Amino acid sequence: MLSDISLGKYYKADSILHRTDPRIKTLLYVVYLVVIFLIKSPAALCALAGVIAVQAVMAKVSLPVIWKTVKPVLPLAIFIFILNILTIKQGNLLFGWKFISITDYGISRAVLMGIRLIFLILSTSLMLTLTTTPLKIADALESIFSPLKIFKVPVHEMAMMMSIALRFIPTLIEETDKIMKAQVSRGADYDTGTFFNRVKGYLTVLIPLFVSSFRRAEELAVAMDARCYRGGEGRTKLNPLRITGFDILVGLFLTVCAAGLVVMDLTLR
Amino acid sequence: MEKISVQDVTFTYGSEGADVSAPAEPAVENLSLEIEKGSYTAILGANGSGKSTLAKLIDVIEVPDSGRIVVFGKDTSDDSVFWQIREKSACVFQNPDNQIVGTIVEEDVAFGPENLGIKLPELRERVDQALKDAGIYELRLREAASLSGGQKQKLAIAGALAMRPEILILDEATAMLDPRSRDEFLAVCEEMRIRKGLTLITITHDMSEAMRCGRVIVMSKGSKAAEGTPAKIFADISLEQFGLRRPVIIKFAYEIARLAGVTLTEDDLSGEARLRERLTKILTSPDLADADVPDEESDAADSDRRKIMSVKDLFSSYDGGKTFALKNINLDVYEGEILGIVGESGCGKTTLISHMNSILKPSSGEIEVYPGEGVTLRCSQKKDVQKIRQSVGLVFQYPEYQLFEETVFKDICYGLRKMDLSVEEQKERAVTAAKSVGLNKEVLRKNPFELSGGQKRRAAMAGVLAMRPKILVLDEPASGLDPVGREEMFALIRSLRAGGTTIIIVSHNMDEAAAYCDRIICIRDGEAAPAETPERLFSDREKTEGFGIDQPKITKFTDQLKKDISKRIPDVVFEKIRFDPEEEARAVYRSVLKAGRRDVK
Repeated sequence: MLSDISLGKYYKADSILHRTDPRIKTLLYVVYLVVIFLIKSPAALCALAGVIAVQAVMAKVSLPVIWKTVKPVLPLAIFIFILNILTIKQGNLLFGWKFISITDYGISRAVLMGIRLIFLILSTSLMLTLTTTPLKIADALESIFSPLKIFKVPVHEMAMMMSIALRFIPTLIEETDKIMKAQVSRGADYDTGTFFNRVKGYLTVLIPLFVSSFRRAEELAVAMDARCYRGGEGRTKLNPLRITGFDILVGLFLTVCAAGLVVMDLTLR
Repeated sequence: MEKISVQDVTFTYGSEGADVSAPAEPAVENLSLEIEKGSYTAILGANGSGKSTLAKLIDVIEVPDSGRIVVFGKDTSDDSVFWQIREKSACVFQNPDNQIVGTIVEEDVAFGPENLGIKLPELRERVDQALKDAGIYELRLREAASLSGGQKQKLAIAGALAMRPEILILDEATAMLDPRSRDEFLAVCEEMRIRKGLTLITITHDMSEAMRCGRVIVMSKGSKAAEGTPAKIFADISLEQFGLRRPVIIKFAYEIARLAGVTLTEDDLSGEARLRERLTKILTSPDLADADVPDEESDAADSDRRKIMSVKDLFSSYDGGKTFALKNINLDVYEGEILGIVGESGCGKTTLISHMNSILKPSSGEIEVYPGEGVTLRCSQKKDVQKIRQSVGLVFQYPEYQLFEETVFKDICYGLRKMDLSVEEQKERAVTAAKSVGLNKEVLRKNPFELSGGQKRRAAMAGVLAMRPKILVLDEPASGLDPVGREEMFALIRSLRAGGTTIIIVSHNMDEAAAYCDRIICIRDGEAAPAETPERLFSDREKTEGFGIDQPKITKFTDQLKKDISKRIPDVVFEKIRFDPEEEARAVYRSVLKAGRRDVK
């Protein structure tokens, strides 16, 4: 059930994007985030689709995996599409009935927003979640934000918290599953009944889950203590991040693509 | 001489500590002991005797309120050497999940040395070496969460070894492992002790594990109750008051000695091979005492038992038929029996019991439950599912983790509230259920999270029993309990059976499965063999090996002993095996007496 959704999950492969330094990928991700929201012209959007296809090839991610990534956001994309159609009143009226009015501008806007959302999910997945382990993302964020340490921002601690949280996701999913099964065998029913009853039903899972999370946290703290954890000061790393010529090449290539898209969009507008 | 020296230490957990229910009671009181460098020491004692606190004190996770602890010449209360001591000692705790920090195996192993500031390439070298020593080098790039329990605990050992400690403390580290993983895990630790001169301290409830150690320290109520070699400790029956139990083999040996009227020396008990040799000698001696060994009554023949559940051609798949967790399971369960389901971790035991309770739907096949004469419930019939869940009570492993209500009473009533019963009826059932597991009315008003571990488990069981199931399925009911707790749990299970409930127990502890079950079904890789009596199953070593399970410890020991005796008394015919060590001792003794022992070679 939970394992079917590939959104936000690491996809194991050996590809160009998998090997690229996570900091470069994080920065590229931000660049593409901006590009996706800048571009408006249909031709540039098609070109962007092309670039994303190139990224997918660079990440060696197959079509079914991409479909699995996009599928869960489709309802949201459709919702945004309809919302835009119905709410935008500018432009030439194409269809009007009572309070519903559909305009040509509204349609083009709705298409644009829907496409943007899908592109957003694709580039997040390809640049980060599918190709980078959660721990590497945490590492990258720690490294990128390390200048903030001057202002006493606990960058290392935040990264450590993030990576531990990520590490415990599978453990807690497993535990949730166990508790749910146990309660179901005692007669709990999570699928039928009124909304209120269902929410109440989930308390039978959430309370034990909370209690056990606190217990785990306590035990983990002792275990970390025993392994001499004392904050980020003086820690070394088994796999330190290192930027190579290869990383720069990948970074340059995708940045040039992004710049090209923006220039193209501006000239065509 | 270098040693760990605990001198008159008292320690009380502060008010912010986890254990609010017992404030102000010192966890460790006036404790003095010494552990020599390079030694192998077991620390035994009932739950709450202060064993784990001692481990934390040695590892400087806590500092004594009074008294001193000196680890290899360094005082733990001295702030300037605090990190040096902690670097030297490493701990492995009970729950492997709660000590893994890294997402990837090798990253987790590196966590300790990274904290110590070890630089590359030494860091890499340490990590690789530790992974190899723990025997999990080939798993180094796997996700830690995807490992099995045994592998996770080896990962914890690797993480400890990578810090290059001088002291390794195992705090009930084998409690959650199946027997095979347990042996492998201990073998790694023991090898490291010999190769690297580690001081190995193991805190355990497993008496057979204590037999492997050079020395045993028994703790009770925060102080040292006894100390000595395992042979000396287990020779002293009075130590049972501290929650200790003799290992089965020792029990067996003492019964033989009692019958033969000889005394066993500490030396005799110093090792299994040694003990076997001695017992062979006793039993084959020409002047073996003609002890009066009463014939034990034979088991009642299988009368016409009523079938209460039937599993028919069950297939189970998680992924729509690509791989099967269970393949073609056929099994009949009879009313009033205790049926054991055994097999290695991950073989499909838990999947099978989830099907029995209709939590999982079979890919194909059927499960029928016959709660009363002429009534048949089928798991494929949607209308029957809720009734099956009520007829087949399921208690998962560590059921205390599913408690959630404000009071024990409300929690027990949770299942009842879904059953359309009157309030009085609910109350009556809850109180009866609580009584049947040994909880009094006072406990019912308490918050479940205030209870002790054993009480929590009972409360959770009561929640299932209140629904008055015909069949009670228990997944590892005794895991994590100390020897006394285990005895009490099995006494409870027997009393439930005597009250008319059919019991199904999932276990990886062959000693207990053999001792308490009427029939046992073995599962390996999702396939099951027909259910058999423990005597038939475990008397054939090849068969058990084929299923990837061990024989019970007592059977393993006596198998070899019987072979040794047969060499000297060729015409001896042994009775069928028994799993109570004292009964087995009497059976062996009887067989030897009958065999005309006088013509010894």
